[in-house]
Amino acid sequence: MRQIVKYLRNKIIERNIIFLSYILIFIGIFLLFSASKGVIIREGFFIKQILWILLASIFVRFFRNSDFRNLEKLTYLFYVIILIFLTIVLIKGEGKTSRWIGFGWFYFQPSEFAKLVVILTLSSYLSKRDIRRFPVLFTSFLIVGIPFFLVLEQPNLGTAFIFILIFLGISYIAGITRKQLIGLFLVAIFSSPLIWNMMKDYQKERILTFINPMKDPLGRGYNLLQSKITIGSGGFFGKGFMKGTQTKLAFLPEYHTDFIFCVLAEEFGFLGVLIFILIYYYFLNKIFEIIYLTKDTFGKLVATGIFVMFASHFLINLGMTLGIFPIVGIPLPFISYGGSSLIVSVFSVIVLSSIEKYTI
Amino acid sequence: MDREIFLRKFITIFIYVILGRCFYLQIIRYPYYYNRSKENCIRTIKTGIPRGIIYDRNGRILAKDVPSTNLVFVPFDIKNIEKEIEILVQITNLDVSYLRRKLNKSYLNPFDRVILKRNLTTKEVSLIEENSYNLPGIFVQEGIKRYYPFGFKTSHLLGYLGEINQKQLELLKNKGYEMGDMIGQDGIEKQCDEYLKGIPGGIQVEVDALGHQRKVIGRNEGVPGNDIKLTIDITIQEIAFEELGSRKGCVVIMDPRNGEVLALVNNPAFDPENIIPYLDERKHPEKPFLNRVIKGQYPPGSIFKIITEIAALETGAVKEFDRVECTGEIEVGDRVFHCWKEEGQGWVDINLALPFSCNIFFGTIGLKVGVSQLIEYAKKFELGKPTGIDLPGEAKGYLPSPKETDPLNLSIGQGPITTTPIQLVTLISTIANGGNIWQPFIVKKIVTSKGETLKEFSPFLKKTLYIDSEVLDILRKGLKNVVEFGTGTRAKIVGLEIAGKTGTAQRAATEAGLPTHGAFACYAPYDNPKIAIVVFLDYGSSPQAAEIAGRILKRIFLPEKIEEENETDSEILEE
Repeated sequence: MRQIVKYLRNKIIERNIIFLSYILIFIGIFLLFSASKGVIIREGFFIKQILWILLASIFVRFFRNSDFRNLEKLTYLFYVIILIFLTIVLIKGEGKTSRWIGFGWFYFQPSEFAKLVVILTLSSYLSKRDIRRFPVLFTSFLIVGIPFFLVLEQPNLGTAFIFILIFLGISYIAGITRKQLIGLFLVAIFSSPLIWNMMKDYQKERILTFINPMKDPLGRGYNLLQSKITIGSGGFFGKGFMKGTQTKLAFLPEYHTDFIFCVLAEEFGFLGVLIFILIYYYFLNKIFEIIYLTKDTFGKLVATGIFVMFASHFLINLGMTLGIFPIVGIPLPFISYGGSSLIVSVFSVIVLSSIEKYTI
Repeated sequence: MDREIFLRKFITIFIYVILGRCFYLQIIRYPYYYNRSKENCIRTIKTGIPRGIIYDRNGRILAKDVPSTNLVFVPFDIKNIEKEIEILVQITNLDVSYLRRKLNKSYLNPFDRVILKRNLTTKEVSLIEENSYNLPGIFVQEGIKRYYPFGFKTSHLLGYLGEINQKQLELLKNKGYEMGDMIGQDGIEKQCDEYLKGIPGGIQVEVDALGHQRKVIGRNEGVPGNDIKLTIDITIQEIAFEELGSRKGCVVIMDPRNGEVLALVNNPAFDPENIIPYLDERKHPEKPFLNRVIKGQYPPGSIFKIITEIAALETGAVKEFDRVECTGEIEVGDRVFHCWKEEGQGWVDINLALPFSCNIFFGTIGLKVGVSQLIEYAKKFELGKPTGIDLPGEAKGYLPSPKETDPLNLSIGQGPITTTPIQLVTLISTIANGGNIWQPFIVKKIVTSKGETLKEFSPFLKKTLYIDSEVLDILRKGLKNVVEFGTGTRAKIVGLEIAGKTGTAQRAATEAGLPTHGAFACYAPYDNPKIAIVVFLDYGSSPQAAEIAGRILKRIFLPEKIEEENETDSEILEE
């Protein structure tokens, strides 16, 4: 028995982070099927997600053996393209909150791709320079700052916040000094009123609701309260697959996207949650191993950025559904419905796999 | 290398926090959230339940529920408010501001139907259905309305139904009342609302967050309201209403043997099925909702002389044949006190003074009895206290203290003293039955919809007064003579002996040049009293009141004479 486990560890899981991400995607399909109440229609999100997954697996086949270091030359081009897309979103979506760009039937969210592009760009920039020099720090700050403000203006508070975390993670591993960190912290404190003023009313409301969700259970606090009820009512064993009353009766409006974790918690209970978190933790730990073991600075920084991206998505998404963080509307990678998020996540995993393959 | 380790530890701690939070929500707080999730998706929708039927003493229906049609709307489905209002104003009599308020209001559940107008006419229904394509979200729905077969005639007795208001809701929410409930707003409907309303049924449905119904989980049929049987005799009630006719005032008829109220009518009255027009004070300045019988407080006038006479005879202040000369006026101190008859009545004793209602005689004996004795006697007859009739809002009248009034005024029922017609009918009944003060009552029996008796009310003897039989004889004889040859002769009918007393409530009316209020209290038959009546006319004379009482008694006891009269009338017309 032990040997079988050891074999699986060595041969499949340990060797292949892509395999781990497929497990997560598979869990996601399960939950989305439940969230769609078993009603599969052509326009429904379940079918769409299956199509996205097929597309993602084609990318995997195509790119899994390519060397991530080729990206280093292209990253600035990607960076410029993504800035253009983010600007287009801002211009097109003026007056309303729009995060999507469409070409015919094909819609995508530039802000999702921007995360990976920023990781690559920043890593590429810092891999050859010393962040402890002020101009380098300042340039790094700009590399993240420009897309940060474009995304914040959409307005997409959650993703913008992820940019900050990515910046902190990469610069931390790149060797930022404690003094610089304190300096950045002070800058953040002094600029926070400015950012507060830039926020749209609904974003301010969300943060205020987070402070007191019971203030208005049918209004602003509704999502959070319903989310807690959904999770709490799952108990230890859960209500059973497809038997969740909360998600089935649509007490949560975004149960297939940002609140997909609720479906899991309601139907599979604490036991399911525990297993799921362990799998995710295992996945994150696998990325950590890559950071730790890689000998390539660019690869290390990229892996760090991806690690921060996945970890923060995972923690903030669960945290908001559990009422630990404000509801900022960011998806749970691999699990939530959404093509852009899935493609970016899969690409990130391909990059990680490549780092593992070529630099360890 | 320790920076990477730190990064991992940082993330690990957060994962523990997340796990701890899940443990707290899913294990520790599980029972709470489980119950919340149950409540969340199950909603109870009230279904209508018929209100109890109100019967008169002979089983004739006075009030019942009948199907009706209501105009309702679903807030969510209203698309173009202004356009729909424009159409609705044309086809119903609803006004624009009311519609605008109702339609623009935000509702907790925008899928729940809201009633715009109850009891649509068939014309309105057809107009709404014709325009239905222009009125999305607005439609006609089956409902229940309260039907009163005798309409105006029983309006004050039964009251009417109205939507529960905020104040009532505060008071009654513990008793299962909810927003939008129809509740009795006056009369028996209000008094017995708890019994009449029943327990509404409900359907439990599973709903989603938007209130869409998914499936029916349970059904509760509810308990229909209890039926109520009254002491009222609708035949007598109708007679009283017809005889009162267009005159403003009220009539109350009671059985002096037990306090059962047989009729209670007021004019002006209102339409209990459609009260809205009567709420407009400009169109109806004469207070159509005022139930004078229990809420009207007037000086009893000469009817009070009954008490003065008993007090004087029992205390020995005057004997049967003691005489007093009435010259039309009497000077007391610096005030001059008038008899109603300017030239005076001459020498009168008590046997003549009562029939002719001589103020000078009663003033004189009142002086002898003294003001505090008179008040004591009034107290014995329960004046100044509510009678305890089972109707909401009874007034208690006013019995002044000795300092507030003087014996002259009090002995003839003027000054600050006030009484309600129901108090006076109790008073005259006490004389009729020889001293028993029965509490007047209207609700006889409460019966469940299955026919089981829930509550039965028997007559309640509040107290028995000892009245000297000689005194009673003198008084009764006097009251009989009021009708025989005194001030109440217009009540006289051949074949029935009636004892009664007129009264004129002067208030400050005569000084202000306004006509006085006329009242007449009587009982019949003289030997074996079965009926006690008080007729009270706003700005009328007491002889007019006596005539009404007489005609009512005639129709009750001698209906065949009325028929004969009608026949002769028609014969005359034919000739």
